[in-house]
Amino acid sequence: MSDDGNSVTPDGAEDGTVLQKPVDRRGALGMLAAGVAAGAAAASACRPLNAATPEERELRVLEWQEFTQKHYRRMTDAERAETIQRIERLAKIRHDEDVTIATTDAQPGVLFGYAFNISKCKGYRNCIEACINENNLDRASDTQYIRIFEMEDGGINLEEADATYQHEVPAEGHFYLGTQCFQCANPPCVPVCPVGATWQEPDGIVVIDYNWCVGCRACMAACPYWARRFNWAQAEVPLNEVNPNQHYLGNRARKKGVVEKCTFCIHRTRKGQLPACVAACPPGARVFGNLLDPDSEIRWVLANKHLFRLKEELATEPRYWYFSD
Amino acid sequence: MWTRLVNGVVCLAVVGIASGCVDEQRPERETAALAADTGLTDIDLAVAAFNAQRQPGELPTVQAAPVDRWAGPGARPFEVAVRTSKQEAGHPRRFGSITLETALRIRPVSQYPCTSCHFGRTVVMTDDRIDDAHQNIQPVHPEETGALCSTCHSADNVERLALAQGEPVTLTESYRLCAQCHFQQAEAWAGGAHGKRLDGWQGRRVVMGCGDCHDPHSPAIQQRIPFRAPELERARTTHE
Repeated sequence: MSDDGNSVTPDGAEDGTVLQKPVDRRGALGMLAAGVAAGAAAASACRPLNAATPEERELRVLEWQEFTQKHYRRMTDAERAETIQRIERLAKIRHDEDVTIATTDAQPGVLFGYAFNISKCKGYRNCIEACINENNLDRASDTQYIRIFEMEDGGINLEEADATYQHEVPAEGHFYLGTQCFQCANPPCVPVCPVGATWQEPDGIVVIDYNWCVGCRACMAACPYWARRFNWAQAEVPLNEVNPNQHYLGNRARKKGVVEKCTFCIHRTRKGQLPACVAACPPGARVFGNLLDPDSEIRWVLANKHLFRLKEELATEPRYWYFSD
Repeated sequence: MWTRLVNGVVCLAVVGIASGCVDEQRPERETAALAADTGLTDIDLAVAAFNAQRQPGELPTVQAAPVDRWAGPGARPFEVAVRTSKQEAGHPRRFGSITLETALRIRPVSQYPCTSCHFGRTVVMTDDRIDDAHQNIQPVHPEETGALCSTCHSADNVERLALAQGEPVTLTESYRLCAQCHFQQAEAWAGGAHGKRLDGWQGRRVVMGCGDCHDPHSPAIQQRIPFRAPELERARTTHE
């Protein structure tokens, strides 16, 4: 838990004001945690002073350590490994889940882009289903990152679009437009965060450190696309439906009072896989790839199709384009 | 502005790639001579050769052949996934609406081979049973376009398809047949804007064939019930 306050963070983040502050207080709290651990060990060795089981005592120590952990971007590799081990152990104790949490960094020379074909989308919502399962979204509040809007042919009016249609699709005379987090190149949600808990990764994905988020929801107010979701309660996922393939910045368990959002399935895409919504789309209306690779499908779409983005006048520069055949 | 910049870069880059696009991995042609010696059909040998070189769990594919009018930036090398009845490489293949196993398949029709009734240009069966034999086919596409069976199927060998210029192709290359008329869709498909990519955004580029989503005899996508709607009551009432 030693910290010299001047260490260079793993991804070279040096711009955030919060990140530059010395973490003496946290360092001290961390020491305290170590003290609690030692104390608990000593207490259990001497006599059964409290009624808690060894597992409950371990849980309390881990929770205390979790509370005092550093910002993700300030962690050294060793601290990251320690943090991952702790979160995996916590998942086991709390929910009896065997999860694997990755900290895969962005691949060099990769910038993710996304294109959505409004001529091809049939409104099946298979993307939403896949997203819920892949990202361990809260079943109790029916959290969904993706919205599919049904609109009448001849114009785009999201104000009057219907995202709650429930009839056979595709409906006659209608088209469908899906929204999610657009991973803007100029994300309005990032600078408003008072604690630096959300930032943009080198591959363009805007992520959140759920352990650093204080739940003020300023980012939700700042996002012009309603892309972020708030956990009013601890996310509930049935044990047999938990996706154990997780990422620290992505689909790991979210606690009460933190904001979450689509991360282009960071745990999949950083390994070369497609986001779950792309893989699930029956008509192939979703195109995903590396914007820096001139041979990629996304670049072919950008070069050959008529494109538009939502609310372009806001200069958020979404890396999410809409196109038609 | 940015899009235009990308446009220019893509065009420059793709010219270089397109020139390096080579037609390879066409096992049926290589094994044609072997077929004459052993008595096996060339399709049987193609299946054996195909399966021999495939890793367990690997998605079965064929190398996409160059097609006329794909001269644009879409003419990059890619592979087309072959339809299989079982789940392969994590792809359940339950997309689209068709269940016919005739589109883009490496295996010949085996349970009721076409040749049990069709022998060359001779039809063995009597006319009144034609409907029975083809009861699973809804000929919407031929009825709307005035096409005959022989417009797409080879008259000499009904297990093959026939391109407009007479070249017989196997069912694994059905996309070449479709591309003759639907060249705009084929170009978008080859480029990446139509159809569906499998196997990830990196590495091998594997796409689904035309027949994975479109029933060749009734290609329009049918309506169906979507996944459940989100609960947005609160948001809606606040707005009204």
